[in-house]
Amino acid sequence: MSLALDPRVIVAGVVPWLIPVAPVAVACGYPSPAQDYFSGEIDLNEHLIQDKTSTFIVRVAGDSMEPGGISDGDELIVNKALEPKDGSVVVAILDGELTIKRLRITRTGVILQADNPKYPPIRVPELSELRIWGVVTRCLHYV
Amino acid sequence: MDVNCFYASAERIFDPSLEGRPVVVLSNNDGCAVTRSDEAKALGIVLGEPWFKLAPRVREWGLQARSSNYELYGSISARVMELLARYSAWQEVYSIDECFLGVKGDGGDLLALGRAMREACRSHVGVPVCVGIAPTKTLAKLANKWAKKNKAFGGVCRWESVPVAEREALMARLPVNEIWGVATRLSKRLAAIGIYSIMDLARADPIRMRDKFSVVMMRTVLELQGTPCIPMEEERVGRDQLIFSRSFSTPIRTAGAMRQVMSVYAQQASARLAKHRLQAKVLTAFAATSYSNPADTSYPSVVVPLPMPTADPVILSRAAHALVPRIYEGLKYVRAGIMVTDLRPSGNQPPLQLFENAHEERHIGPLIEEVAKKYGRESIGLGVAGLKGGPDWSMKREMLSPRYTTEWAELPIVKAA
Repeated sequence: MSLALDPRVIVAGVVPWLIPVAPVAVACGYPSPAQDYFSGEIDLNEHLIQDKTSTFIVRVAGDSMEPGGISDGDELIVNKALEPKDGSVVVAILDGELTIKRLRITRTGVILQADNPKYPPIRVPELSELRIWGVVTRCLHYV
Repeated sequence: MDVNCFYASAERIFDPSLEGRPVVVLSNNDGCAVTRSDEAKALGIVLGEPWFKLAPRVREWGLQARSSNYELYGSISARVMELLARYSAWQEVYSIDECFLGVKGDGGDLLALGRAMREACRSHVGVPVCVGIAPTKTLAKLANKWAKKNKAFGGVCRWESVPVAEREALMARLPVNEIWGVATRLSKRLAAIGIYSIMDLARADPIRMRDKFSVVMMRTVLELQGTPCIPMEEERVGRDQLIFSRSFSTPIRTAGAMRQVMSVYAQQASARLAKHRLQAKVLTAFAATSYSNPADTSYPSVVVPLPMPTADPVILSRAAHALVPRIYEGLKYVRAGIMVTDLRPSGNQPPLQLFENAHEERHIGPLIEEVAKKYGRESIGLGVAGLKGGPDWSMKREMLSPRYTTEWAELPIVKAA
């Protein structure tokens, strides 16, 4: 027993190196009849994240989107790579800060709205003058 | 491909107020500037400038400083590398912010591809990158450097799209140590035989360079002449290893202290393995002295096959201690780590009774974890790792930004106001 527990050094070198090894699993015992039907639990990442290279999770501070169902403290899933459209909830860069607004694209210009009427809308003549950080795809709202 | 001012660019993703301002990211223990934004370079801040010299001028310059946020940089790097892997089946991740990609096509296609890669990094991850395209890795690095220096390239330089006269003028202008693989100390020996510029080296006879220097130098010459001879080294991608490695705030000089470090890493590895329900079969332990002190170097490493797949902190600690006899007392070790590989899900293969080890039966690992969670990381530890007040070699990071992408409690805040 003590011999089996004693780790031995088999390779000693001067640089750390990586050993490529394929994990091999050997099954023991009787297989469960359900095994053939089991393809893994639901994975939220798979359903909530379209592209993990461009998806970030952010946290909301403030109540300006409250009536739209996005509350203070909620987490949002944001995809940076999506093209914002009229009606998109976006994270915009305003005065060097990440700010959440609803984007309105109209014939007369572009508006960044808060869902809460307490906060006045911000108007810009062109979409190109706006810096959109990402588009919100989901809200993880606390109930 | 190379990310521009990587650490500073990663900080700017989540803090847009840093845009257009001078930013420096400091080395381990907030020692010196390791990354400077273009604005910081314009102020004359040099690479490696000690923080104590910069600190008094912070207000005057509007300088923003950050401690190295390795969690963030690692996460952003992984995103960039995964994104770029979509452009080529042949990727070699060379460092945290650089990779080589093997691509085929004619000039126009390659330039378009380079621009698409650059745009993807901007739109998906939010970092600026430069791309150099050439027939060899050495020339690709040079083209990349050029793309970075000369704004006219728009961030993408294909070596062969530039007229020969311009390329030669650039190579004649740049000193030879600007090329990938030629260290500054080598440039003195090269100067002794009349090789000063990259152009001089490109015109040298490869065989003569091999005889006078090394095969490495011959390869560099051949690569400069357009013959690829540094092969792509592909890396395994995937979660089949965990690495715990860190630089120390005070160098480790004794075997006893290294033993303590190894115990701490082994327990961190044990906790991480247990969290992911994994067991490891192989443990590698390594340490390194500073690169900046070439007189007394030592890079010991050991690979220890474990007696069974395990996440047991006792066995992992014992395995990691195999490094200790290889430590030279008195040398300054600035970095050490352990890596566990050949990971497999725990519980898949219940070990035979004979090999089930006593510590695992008593659930020592989970117990330590539970106590640590309740009373803090320094409250309990195995053997020499369990120290009051915490070991003094842990890292100092006083200007650390949040770990935006790896810690749920530190997510970026968006203002709803």
